[in-house]
Amino acid sequence: MIVAAPSPALYEGRQGHYAGAVSRLAAFAADVGASWGLYTLGLGAVSLTVALATGRTFSVNRNQIPTLIVLVVWEFMYFAYQWALNGKTIGMAAMGIQVVKADGTPLTARQAVVRTLVFPLSIAAVGLGFLGILVQRERRALHDLVAGTAVIYSWDARAARLRWLARQGPETAIHR
Amino acid sequence: MGHCRHASVACGLGQFEVSPNPINDRFERVAQSIAERVARLVIDSIDLNAIMERVDVDHLVSRVNADAIVDRVDVEKIVERVDVEKILERVDVNALVERVDVRRIVDQLDIESLVAQTELGSIIARSTSGVAAEVLDVIRAQGVGLDDFFARWTNRILRRGPDSLPLGPRTLVPTAPLASATPLDGSTDGSGQ
Repeated sequence: MIVAAPSPALYEGRQGHYAGAVSRLAAFAADVGASWGLYTLGLGAVSLTVALATGRTFSVNRNQIPTLIVLVVWEFMYFAYQWALNGKTIGMAAMGIQVVKADGTPLTARQAVVRTLVFPLSIAAVGLGFLGILVQRERRALHDLVAGTAVIYSWDARAARLRWLARQGPETAIHR
Repeated sequence: MGHCRHASVACGLGQFEVSPNPINDRFERVAQSIAERVARLVIDSIDLNAIMERVDVDHLVSRVNADAIVDRVDVEKIVERVDVEKILERVDVNALVERVDVRRIVDQLDIESLVAQTELGSIIARSTSGVAAEVLDVIRAQGVGLDDFFARWTNRILRRGPDSLPLGPRTLVPTAPLASATPLDGSTDGSGQ
C-alpha cells in the first residue's frame, strides 16, 4: 500500500502547539463513533444477559428513559475518565491531540469533570461554543475557557516523517 | 676562535690558550689565575634573574623564525615516542563528554538522509507498526494542514497578524511566532493558490 508522504513542512513538528478546528472536530467525530459503538455493544450484551437470565427480551423502545440515563452517564464516563486519565480520548489519541491545562501542564481530574459537564453547552446553541476554536487567540472553546484547559498537538510529526522515510528505503529516498 | 688570538682570558673559563707572544712564563700564569678569579667573581655577582627581567621576551620571540625551527623538527619521530595510551589514561573522558554540546552535533546531522539511506531506516521500519501507523500519520498530517488553512483564513477575516498569536502554552512552546511555521500545503498564503 502506497501512502502519500507527510509534508516536509511537518519536519518542524507541532508538538505543544494549539490544535486547530479540523483535528478537534475529527477527533470528536471519532469519539462519538467509538462511544456509540461501545454503548451499542454494551446494550447488546445487557439485552442478551437479560434474555438469558429471565427469558424476556430487553427492548430499548420500552425502556427509553433508563436507556437515555445510561447513555448520558456512559458518555460522561467516556470523556471524563479518559481526560482525567491522560488528557486524551480514543479519538484524540487517533488524531494526535491532547487536553492540557491552559498553562500546558497536565489537567486535573476536577478539570476533566468540569470540561465534560460544560461540553454539552458548547454543542447547544448551534455549536456557538466551538466558535472559540476558530476566533479565540488560544483556540479555546467555551468548555476550555470554563475548565481552564487547552487542546494541543501531541503528535510527533518529525518522528512520523522519519518513519515514512524509513519505509521508503534507500532506492526511493535517493530519487526523492 | 679567531678573536682569542691576543686576549686569551676573554675566551671562557675552562681552557685558556697560551699567548704566542714571547712573555715571561710566570707572568703569564699569574695573569691567567687572576683572570680566572676575576671571571668567577664577575659571574657570581651577576643577577641572572634581574637581567632576564630586563629582556623583552616577546621581542626576542618575534625575531625567532619558528617555521625554520619546525622544519628542522622530525614530527614523525616525536609522535613515535609519544605513549598515546598513557596520555589517554590520564584524560577524564566523562568530563570531556560533559563539555560536548551533543544537541549542536545532532542538529548538524542530516537525520533524514541517514534514515533513508542506511540500514537504520529498515530497523526503524521494522520497529514501527506498519500500515496502520502510516495511515494514521497521513490522516493527522491532513488534519494539521486543514487546521492551518482555516486558521489563516480566520486571521485574514479578523484582520489579525499570525505573529501576534501564541503558538501554544508557554511551558510547551516558549518562543517562535506562528508566521515561522511553513504552510503544510506548501503554499505561501492561506488561499492555497
